[in-house]
Amino acid sequence: MSDILKLVVCIKQVPAVSELPWDAATGTLKRDLAEGMINPACKHALEAALQLKERHGGRIVVFTMGPPMAEEVLREAMAMGADQGVLLTDRAMAGADTSVTSFTLARAVAGVCPDFDLVMCGNRTIDSETAQVGPQLAEELKIPGAANVHQLTLSGKILRLERLSDNFLETLEMDLPGLVTISTREYFPRYVSMEGIQDTFDKGTILSLGAKDLGLDINLLGSKASPTRILDVYSPTAKKNNVVLKGSPKKIVEELFTRFGDKIGGVIRKDIKKADT
Amino acid sequence: MNFNPCMKHKLVRKTVRLFAETELSPIAHEIDRDARLPMEVLYKMGPLNYFGLQAPKKYGGAAMDSISYAIAVEELSRVCAAVGLCVSVHNSVGLFPILKFGTREQQDRFIPRLASGEYIGAFSLTEANAGSDAGGVETHAVKDGDSYIINGTKIFVTNGGICDLALIFAVADFNHPRQSTSVFMIQKGQAGFSVGEIEDLCGMRANPVSSLFLEDCRVPRSQLLGKVGDGLKIGLAALDAGRIGIAVQALGIAQGAFDAAVKYSKERQQFNKPIASFQTIQNYLADMATWIDAARLLVYRACAVKDSGRPYSAEAAMAKLYCSEMATRVTNMAVQVHGGYGYSKEYDVERYFRDAKVTEIYEGTSEVQRMVISRAVLSKLT
Repeated sequence: MSDILKLVVCIKQVPAVSELPWDAATGTLKRDLAEGMINPACKHALEAALQLKERHGGRIVVFTMGPPMAEEVLREAMAMGADQGVLLTDRAMAGADTSVTSFTLARAVAGVCPDFDLVMCGNRTIDSETAQVGPQLAEELKIPGAANVHQLTLSGKILRLERLSDNFLETLEMDLPGLVTISTREYFPRYVSMEGIQDTFDKGTILSLGAKDLGLDINLLGSKASPTRILDVYSPTAKKNNVVLKGSPKKIVEELFTRFGDKIGGVIRKDIKKADT
Repeated sequence: MNFNPCMKHKLVRKTVRLFAETELSPIAHEIDRDARLPMEVLYKMGPLNYFGLQAPKKYGGAAMDSISYAIAVEELSRVCAAVGLCVSVHNSVGLFPILKFGTREQQDRFIPRLASGEYIGAFSLTEANAGSDAGGVETHAVKDGDSYIINGTKIFVTNGGICDLALIFAVADFNHPRQSTSVFMIQKGQAGFSVGEIEDLCGMRANPVSSLFLEDCRVPRSQLLGKVGDGLKIGLAALDAGRIGIAVQALGIAQGAFDAAVKYSKERQQFNKPIASFQTIQNYLADMATWIDAARLLVYRACAVKDSGRPYSAEAAMAKLYCSEMATRVTNMAVQVHGGYGYSKEYDVERYFRDAKVTEIYEGTSEVQRMVISRAVLSKLT
């Protein structure tokens, strides 16, 4: 670990509306119809990075991959306090799935900030909800990774972190360099100041990189290289399916446990059939 | 000519909208009902530079352009006009005149405190017998050694109840009032300076609009802004800037009412259909959208002329006149779209309706704006 803490935050621009029409032909969102915003969990990750920087000093570089308009989220991140923005934008990168996105991000992070200490991502995005890019990025960078973290404490080269996992609170320690994905449970993002906005447009620099700048073969990028195919996209609808059990009370109860015993047992936290014996 | 908002202006809008919707939206109804300025929210606005939007960075301001300032006031007013008013008046007629006419010492002394929000500014020209007629000021300033003794009463002072620094217009020589009108920067707590009752107004109720009393108030010469007799010049310059502030405030109120009307028209069912499916409602919405858009273009044009350094009195007056009259029309129509519910305090549109009206009155009535505009029209060389 070098003298000054080097933090990398990866953020994604997502549509700032609750519902967006889908393009049935490509199975992707019609993103151009909505204003963009920083994905909420990514903003929490940035806030966590800002708090680490305030406590320990350091430098924050923010990465995003997207169309040229994604510069907006980098500017916002810099107005919040990040030091530099890196925009990965290239038509060849369009349509990447999570695997190719993390590959591309990893190459960019390794190229621009090879001596990073900690990479921070949001735990998931509100437009695709896969929660895959962070963990995959740790694999690509060959560093330890921990997902769904909501508390960080840094002492020397060791990062202590807390996360909720299957209703257990876990405390873990990680040697740096490493990667964490941050949940929206803590690290509520600060408001952006007007001076911050003015400064980022007056003197903030954004490094814009394409495939060629990163020395990447375009056949390894974008939808072309992505093994994932989206077969169908639809809005989930909640359905109610009422079942009426008939017969004598004894028969009804037996039928109830035959058909729904697993669910009822889950609620009262024991296996009813086993409890009987 | 580019009509697309730049990335910075989009970010200012997004940022202030988030703040207003998070901090002001949940309390806007309550603070209007209780006539309470939410100091707890104002304290949060200080570090975000809302009180020094255009003040230089060396004084802790954000040094933004006028369109950014306009967007910030518009977005606050879209949710809570009374707080938008506080910010608008503080920036445009509280801080700006000191920046434009103050000495270096005066700027060093007051601007950092104003820009941080430690001091809230107010502008006090209006009196019982002086409103549209700025030359009719009766507050008297008598020179006494290196000080002035000031006596008089100011009325309808926006931010009056909480102001820490008020710009007070006073006349030094009643034989030559226009040539001797002067502006004094008077601090809260100065002997002889006190705040009167908070006005019980139709709208903007969360802003503590009040009278200010000056009774043998001794003010050192160091608190005279500009020279004796600069009053009308300072007043007119401040009001040009202030009119942009009121124009965008009216624009924000109209936008808030319009957004509420669109939402309601999609939700409200009559004859088994949302009322937005009826052509009459569609026509209302189309008119409102068009007027709001026209108003926004007028006010941004005034901002652009101001930032170019050219005179912008007529542009600011046109923007203020159009935006304020548009806001009363749009809020009226928004109440109509809501029907009986719009007349109820259960919905926000009745507050927008009450708040809009005063934008046609303060910082120069619509009649005064027409006077300014017609003078500019008639003085043009043909």
